[in-house]
Amino acid sequence: MDVYEVFRRHGHKEPFEHCGAVIAPDPEMALLMAKECFLRRREASHLWVTRRADIHSFQDESLLEIASDKSYRFAEAYRDVVTKRERARARAQEIAS
Amino acid sequence: MSEALAAALTALGDDELVLGHRHSEWTGYAPHLEEDVAFSSIAQDEIGHATAYFTLLAKVIGSDPDRIALGRDKGGYRHAILCERPNHEWAYTLARHWLYDTADEIRLESLEQCSDEELAALTRKIRREERYHLLHADSWMKRVARGPVEGRTKLMDAIGGILPEAMGIFEEIELEETAVKEGLWPTPSSELRQRFLDHTGSKLDELGLPTEIHAHATERAEFVASSSGDLIAEAGADAGQEPSPDELGGRRGRHTADFDQLWEDMTGQYRAHPGATW
Repeated sequence: MDVYEVFRRHGHKEPFEHCGAVIAPDPEMALLMAKECFLRRREASHLWVTRRADIHSFQDESLLEIASDKSYRFAEAYRDVVTKRERARARAQEIAS
Repeated sequence: MSEALAAALTALGDDELVLGHRHSEWTGYAPHLEEDVAFSSIAQDEIGHATAYFTLLAKVIGSDPDRIALGRDKGGYRHAILCERPNHEWAYTLARHWLYDTADEIRLESLEQCSDEELAALTRKIRREERYHLLHADSWMKRVARGPVEGRTKLMDAIGGILPEAMGIFEEIELEETAVKEGLWPTPSSELRQRFLDHTGSKLDELGLPTEIHAHATERAEFVASSSGDLIAEAGADAGQEPSPDELGGRRGRHTADFDQLWEDMTGQYRAHPGATW
């Protein structure tokens, strides 16, 4: 028997979401178990199962921490561009007139 | 103000800035889309590290990070010459990425003991990201080394060609004697270089590349054991104008024509619009 992780989604535009796990001897049975455990009340219209053993993660997840300043990767860091643009526009008009 | 601390920060920041800039030239051109994003992200990390070093340096010498990064004359930069070389092809870039980040890990490991609290703390922070960079480089190296012969050969050629210049990462920094005495540069560069050679040698063994590396390295320079047991590169007969590692001079502000072009690109905007912010 293997542990299968279960993912479900509502419509084609939604992402699959992890909703739990089932124990089953093979993928076919895992799908049946998953349907009964996680789609009893029309929670979703699509279902995936995958063996937990086939899922990979970093052994050391501290690698995922962001160590240094990454503000430049966020839109907020460029918010002042709007005011700068307005100022530049005003200055351009001033020069033109 | 500590001039030795400023020298250390300049060398560290310039390496990251210049190599980060070269890495960024792959944006839009890397071998596949995912790697394009990954390598561009690594390039940004390196520029980010340069920013962090220059922010500290700005406090030490009374300047600002942008002016340090972009407002200097060509001769003011203290990066290793290896960092300024063009990307050539992916094999060259990968080999340089691997050798540089291996060298950087060895340097940062030592700098965690730096007597300057701020630099020691910054080092610990940066090292966390550099560990990931090294994992990225190692993963690529493993796959290319075990892959088809064409990629493997290109990688071996690249490493053989780069290794002598990689020694330039461990040229003495300016005021190194003072920096070592004051604990700012906890391990002398010559010792760091030995660690780098030992580590790189055993890694290449693991990858199954050593014999070929030696063969290719001898085309440009021969690595022989000195009386102290150091591996030193001796200029080969056909080395021509290739400088020996001890004479590379990046840490003393001597750079190649490759840097002229890079400097023009990198600082052009800054020089065209003095005082501009963005």
